[in-house]
Amino acid sequence: MRSGFRRYLFRRVGFALLLIFAVSSASLLLARLAPSDDVFAVDRVILAAERHRLGLDKPLLEQYLDWLGRTLRFDFGESLRFRRPVAELIRERAGRTALLGFSALALATLVGIPLGVFTGSRPSGLLTSTVRLASIVVLSMPSLVTSLVLLLLAARTGWFPAGGLPTISDGTGTLHSIFIVGRYLFLPALALALPMAAALERLQSRAIRESLTEPCIVAALARGVPRQRVIWRHAFRLGLKTVLAIYGIMIGTALGGSFVVEIVMAWRGLGDLMYQALQSRDLYLVAGCAAAGSCGLAFGILLSDVALAAIDPRVEDVV
Amino acid sequence: MISWTARAGLVGLSIVVIVTAAAHFIAPHDPARQFPDLAFAPPMLPRVLDDAGHLHRPFIYPIRLVDRLEHRFVEDRSARVTLEWLTSGRLVTTPEGSSPWLLLGADALGRDVFARMLRGAQMSLGVSVVAAALALTLGALLGALAGFVGGKWDAALMRLADFVVVLPIIYVVIVLRATMPLVLSASQVFWTMTVVLGVAGWPFPARGVRAVIALERKKEYAEAAHAMGAGWFRILLRHLLPAAQGFLAVQATLLLPMFILAEATLSYVGFGFAEPTPSWGVMLHEAAEAGVLSEAPWLLAPAAGIVISVLCLQLVSGGSTPVGQRDGVTP
Amino acid sequence: MAGKLPKSLAVIAIVLAIGLATYFARRAAKIGPATAPSSGTAAATTPVRGGELLASLRAEPVTHNRYVDYSAPGEVLALLTHATLVRVDRTTDTLEPWLAESWTESPDHLAYTLKLRQGVLFSDGTPFTSADVLFSFRALYDPRIKSPLATDTLVNGKPLHIEAPDPATVIVRLPSLFAPGLRLVDGVPILPRHRLERALTEGTFNDAWSATTPVTEIAGLGPFVLVEHKSGERLVVARNPHYWRKDAAGVALPYLDKLTVVFASQASEALKLQAGEIDLMTNADIRSDDYAAFKRAADQGRVRLIDGGLGLDPNLLWFNLTAVHAKEPASRLFQQKAFRQAVSCVVDRQAIVNTVYLGAAVPIYGPVTPANRTWFADVRPACEHDPIRARELLTAAGLADRNGDGILEDASGKTARFSILTQAESIRARVVAVLQEQLRQAGIAVDIVPLDQGALFARFAKGDFDAIYYGIQSSAIDPALSPGFWLSSGDYHFWNRNQKAPATDWERRIDDLMRQQAETFNVEERRRLFTEVQRIFVEEMPAIYFVTPKVTLAVSARVVNPQPAPQIPQLLWSADSLATRR
Repeated sequence: MRSGFRRYLFRRVGFALLLIFAVSSASLLLARLAPSDDVFAVDRVILAAERHRLGLDKPLLEQYLDWLGRTLRFDFGESLRFRRPVAELIRERAGRTALLGFSALALATLVGIPLGVFTGSRPSGLLTSTVRLASIVVLSMPSLVTSLVLLLLAARTGWFPAGGLPTISDGTGTLHSIFIVGRYLFLPALALALPMAAALERLQSRAIRESLTEPCIVAALARGVPRQRVIWRHAFRLGLKTVLAIYGIMIGTALGGSFVVEIVMAWRGLGDLMYQALQSRDLYLVAGCAAAGSCGLAFGILLSDVALAAIDPRVEDVV
Repeated sequence: MISWTARAGLVGLSIVVIVTAAAHFIAPHDPARQFPDLAFAPPMLPRVLDDAGHLHRPFIYPIRLVDRLEHRFVEDRSARVTLEWLTSGRLVTTPEGSSPWLLLGADALGRDVFARMLRGAQMSLGVSVVAAALALTLGALLGALAGFVGGKWDAALMRLADFVVVLPIIYVVIVLRATMPLVLSASQVFWTMTVVLGVAGWPFPARGVRAVIALERKKEYAEAAHAMGAGWFRILLRHLLPAAQGFLAVQATLLLPMFILAEATLSYVGFGFAEPTPSWGVMLHEAAEAGVLSEAPWLLAPAAGIVISVLCLQLVSGGSTPVGQRDGVTP
Repeated sequence: MAGKLPKSLAVIAIVLAIGLATYFARRAAKIGPATAPSSGTAAATTPVRGGELLASLRAEPVTHNRYVDYSAPGEVLALLTHATLVRVDRTTDTLEPWLAESWTESPDHLAYTLKLRQGVLFSDGTPFTSADVLFSFRALYDPRIKSPLATDTLVNGKPLHIEAPDPATVIVRLPSLFAPGLRLVDGVPILPRHRLERALTEGTFNDAWSATTPVTEIAGLGPFVLVEHKSGERLVVARNPHYWRKDAAGVALPYLDKLTVVFASQASEALKLQAGEIDLMTNADIRSDDYAAFKRAADQGRVRLIDGGLGLDPNLLWFNLTAVHAKEPASRLFQQKAFRQAVSCVVDRQAIVNTVYLGAAVPIYGPVTPANRTWFADVRPACEHDPIRARELLTAAGLADRNGDGILEDASGKTARFSILTQAESIRARVVAVLQEQLRQAGIAVDIVPLDQGALFARFAKGDFDAIYYGIQSSAIDPALSPGFWLSSGDYHFWNRNQKAPATDWERRIDDLMRQQAETFNVEERRRLFTEVQRIFVEEMPAIYFVTPKVTLAVSARVVNPQPAPQIPQLLWSADSLATRR
């Protein structure tokens, strides 16, 4: 099993690396294909000189190989629009997207799994049906809609800021800073977390329901083991499997959903940066964002694959 | 036996389709028409009872502007505007020259939000349906080819599909869209988005079809047909692909919500339809100028349209999560 | 046996319940008139030294070198950290002494002798002398730099000549007669010779003071010093301890200890101001859409609304009247004066005022608005919102509805159709949407092409457009300081830029009149000449003006002593006199 696991690990890491490479290259090439209207005109500064300096006017192949070489040395080029190194921009933004993503995933897990256990373990009743219906409706609400509704809520109640990044002036205590960031982070994270929570609830609910019919469970209940204990111990293990199985996809969903949430709620993260880069045909920035995004994605998938394999060795046989 | 949820979903979908197709007939007014002095007018509900308690044919009270900058309106209870049915080519409307019936209020330029939403349904749902058809066709063909031919091509194609499926679709779509000229006419945008969505979506059905075909190909009836002299292409089309029908139908209900959402997002960020085309994404974009949002929440009506359409599709597909599974075969 | 509710679910339910309860309680509390705070709207508080303010800016400066970065954020930074020889007081439009404490004009109006203020130090303690002035203008006009600021500091295309006979005197020589005189140098910040001379001689001036230069290297004569520039987030300026200016009571300016400028989008800065997270916006005017929300915030005492008069630089719809574009089919329409006049006549400007600006605007017909009190002349076109007269004009242009489809066609059957480029998602786009509808009813088909600013500018520069609806802001009130717009050879002569010789008679006539009025020193005569220019413009209509907004500025209640000016930045232009409530 050990060597099988190691081989599996290598294969997955290889997949991850290939993914990152393919995505960044494709983004660079596709962005280059875009008709360049010189859409971003820096105020009267000679645009052509800038493009030449950044190596943006070389023929396609030469530019691509040059970029590839530099990337391997971790030099991601400079952004035409922001006039700063791409790596610096990405570092700034990726942190924010990561914060948003992780908070959303945590929130989704905290809400979705327990709810799923609840609805899965009880027989059909009013409460269960309500939660089920709520889940399905929430699943039908794309993050665009959820963000807008939450924005409306924020604007109307004034409880939470209606989008934007927290402005922390110097000299604010750490606890206070966390509170401020939390206020700004809550709504975007919620917008991102709701559909994921609903998905988790549905999956967990079904898993619990199915497991309750398994012979060992029925036997345990017949033996007189308290139902709560059976459910929770079993739910925990099942929850882990459910969650891990779709965490890889959830990271993908988080990344995709965060794109919309970041733009609607002005949470200036990686998705927002990529969008601006695409608008201004900022080639190196597009490629850099794609690389960073696919890195995160690949890493998440890798983690979930490995964790899943650790729990369920049958997975290793599937490539 | 279809569950009651699926039946509800089908009914909902039929209503959506009928309303969308008959948008011009059902909308009380022309979606492009700007009613003067009615910018951000609130929704007007039809009534049958007037203040004195008398019953009338359905009517509305006209709205008058009180303060322009503060968006304040007041109902004029002294006048009743009776709704007219089945005149001027519309199901219901108000007489020309009198107050319009703004079921869902008016937007920043005084246009009927309800009428725009219906017209927007034609745009948004239209793109999604055509794109789904394209993705299914493309995916089915490529998947069938892969499953049929097997070997290197099969592996290569499926590798590619695996990659694309893992990526968040909105990024794929947006990068593809960005390679095209940004400014296009409405019909050009329609076809561009259809192609972009279709190309982004083919891997989803492809993998499943490939699995089905690879299985069916080995079955006896396929071998028998071949032995009788039928060409492989004919076998593929007439015998093997129909086996994937059920799968493709389910895939449609998974692709459609994805595409509806992708269109809304693209138009929202400016890469899709643009003003004055009233696609749902464009309308949501107008609504999102947050200063206006709290003043005129009825501008979010297209969001309801999206949720209803996606919900019905979900119910029909039996509650499979759009989150999906990575092997793409088990729904 | 029903299972007990899982604990976490109970916790969530309780939290939700509390949340909902508080929400409704808060809503209940909001019903009823908001209590007005005790401190009224009086701005009569005497400003005191000390305190900080937080401002917002929509874009960030690309470099810290004003001679190279001619953008709006660059201008704001220069206003905060640098000083000029003389300054135009934007509230009164008069020239006042600044770094130069007095000056004399030569009898032939071609030379100004300025006496520099004594004892002035740069922010790093180095004394300021005429050598710095000499150096600044040398750098400005240096051909290697190609400074955009230089292009706006020319007289008839020729640079000024600066002499520095002694450390306290500067002589400014003009190459030809120029009525605005010293107003021309109102926009030229004086840079420190000791910091930049080496860069100029070595030819690296354009890269000096870039975004990556440590802030300690930058020195200026302005009220503030740049202490931090965190790209993508904010920049921070602190009081310049050596600032030379004092208020009427002798208190050393600036009042503020520190001013933080955060970069925020237009949408979010309005929200932040309403919520009290920032104190003012660099573009201090509010959109009509936001008025209701700001009014609420003002009623609650968080914000103060200031009447800013009328807008100075209205948006305009200009047509592509270049010879190159004349071959395009749409061009055949608007090359005809009658067509352009007809478009202006068809448009119901009051409807635009009502629909887009919610009543907070006035109709206008030419480039100069009533906000420009000195130079405005109320010249109207022959036809103001007269559909019958418009129809006559259109017929005169050869257009009629020949096939009954509601759209006009010309004699050869081509539809009357043209496209308008404008800035996407802006109030300009809304105006164009209203225009499109109004013109459609008159039988003219208009295609709207929304673009972002960069793409718009690129298409404009290439001449690839039929018509554009856009606007620029200029700080100059005196028309002689905007030759780029009025002269046919100008760079901002939007409808036909950089002409070698005037393409039309009326443009030649305007060129002559503008030249005359720039060389006349009698104010009445200048106004008479310029009124004639406006009359010709309104008659020929190469560009159509529709409305100018009624400007309302918003600041937080903490801001004391604002000096609102018509041009952007309405409040930060005089940042040294801004103070805050303690």
